[in-house]
Amino acid sequence: MANLVSFDHATLGYGRRVILSDLTFTIPEGDFLGMVGPNGAGKTTILRAILRTLIPLSGSVTHAPGIRFGYVPQRDQVDYNFPLNVIDVVMMGRYDRIGLGRRPGAVDRKLACASLDHVGILDLADQPLSALSGGQKQRTLIARALVGQPNVLVLDEPTNGMDLVSTTQILGLVRELHERDQLTVLMVSHALNEVANYVERIALVVNGGFRIGTVDEIMSESVLSEMYRIPVDVDNINGHRVVVARRDGQTLPAPNA
Amino acid sequence: MLDAVLLFREALYGALVIGLACSVLGVYVVLRRIVFVGAALAELSSAGIALALWLAGRGWMLGIATHPIALALILTIAGVLFFGAGGSRGRIPPDATIGVTYAVAAAIGIILISKAKTGEAHDIFLQGNILGITRGDTLVLLAVAVPVLLIHAVFYKEFLFISFDRETARTLGYRINFWNLLLYLTLGLVIAFAMQFAGVMLVFNFLVLPAVTGLLLSRSMAGTFFWSILSALVAAVIGFSLSVPFDLPSGPAIIAVSGVLALLAFLVRLAQRR
Repeated sequence: MANLVSFDHATLGYGRRVILSDLTFTIPEGDFLGMVGPNGAGKTTILRAILRTLIPLSGSVTHAPGIRFGYVPQRDQVDYNFPLNVIDVVMMGRYDRIGLGRRPGAVDRKLACASLDHVGILDLADQPLSALSGGQKQRTLIARALVGQPNVLVLDEPTNGMDLVSTTQILGLVRELHERDQLTVLMVSHALNEVANYVERIALVVNGGFRIGTVDEIMSESVLSEMYRIPVDVDNINGHRVVVARRDGQTLPAPNA
Repeated sequence: MLDAVLLFREALYGALVIGLACSVLGVYVVLRRIVFVGAALAELSSAGIALALWLAGRGWMLGIATHPIALALILTIAGVLFFGAGGSRGRIPPDATIGVTYAVAAAIGIILISKAKTGEAHDIFLQGNILGITRGDTLVLLAVAVPVLLIHAVFYKEFLFISFDRETARTLGYRINFWNLLLYLTLGLVIAFAMQFAGVMLVFNFLVLPAVTGLLLSRSMAGTFFWSILSALVAAVIGFSLSVPFDLPSGPAIIAVSGVLALLAFLVRLAQRR
């Protein structure tokens, strides 16, 4: 599988402030990667470098020629006060293809409808975005990301603030898109337990550290205890892996302390 | 009544041009929650006019001082560059920066105008002097409004996208800073020119109330623009027509009608929900 994104000793940050240093990893074609870590750990910084909106301070981040990202932002990043219908929002995913100063046409509308159908909400095409539930809004944003025919689907905290049912449905949909369409998927989340049971690889961003590997490699008590600096248990319930911090666990010293 | 209105028809045309341009830009101003950026830019523009009048009164820099719009534009564009680039850095919240700009620009404007030798009254400064608009002024307003509206018609899709979801637009290659700045620049241009004639209050009204009316009456962007423009034009015509024969100040009369239209729109929205 060809690498779509390659980090080579990349140091990321803003101005003189370094957030993460010496990152070396790749995202191969067909990958289903979950990037997990607490808020403020640097997930968004890595995401920006992947999406080419942040240039590394040193090292390099290279992208496969012609790569297209389908980006699904956090739901609260979108302003639902705008009087837009679902179809209007989905067509935005084609704006860069339509060109400057030109309006979406019949082809764009047709593709937007196909994309809505793909995520199971074609019947909501002419509904106001503001009238939708959290899960429906998320599907709309996924449809918008897909309508641009991306190589990589990137989702930023797709289940944030959702209940159990919506979370399960959205994660199920994302896995379906990966399996059915062989779409490369990068999913960013702070919820390790949610992501670990859907993705194939995990990138852990915690306490300034970065570790990437298969789910089996990362979901081990030793790795997670070292990264989170707190003793954890990894249990298996009906085939689902669940990470639990030990109730009497003391914070562990940093690995290099 | 009609005769009286016809006597000041140039002023009405000017008010219509200002209402048209502001009501289109106002949709973005309200949706992007930058209502007070509009007010701060209007105050910066008025401070520029006041500075020009003060300089003229002292016989200083007469080249620039005899063209108040030049200084109004300079200060407004400075504000546009500042707010368009994010408006605030560090620990001061953006709305506080807007508030500081508004208060300081308003105070400086009033201080300068009080010391200017042209005898301009403060209330005229605040309310503008819409009845004084001439055909030449209307043509100047048109020369600003038409290109601005054309830019907004051509690049509607771009302005909408960066206003609605800038992060996704950025990932699709949109240069957010450029489009943001262009949006603010068109806003600053319209405000700087409109301020000269309409005053802070009326410009602020045209930037906010028609857009609110549009948002109350429509669930689409096209509908919002339509109702915003229509309500601004209707408010200008009715407010102006009432102000001349009844000897009311034109700006506040237009604002009062805008308020009534917004209230009616609110009632219509309420009725639709039931």
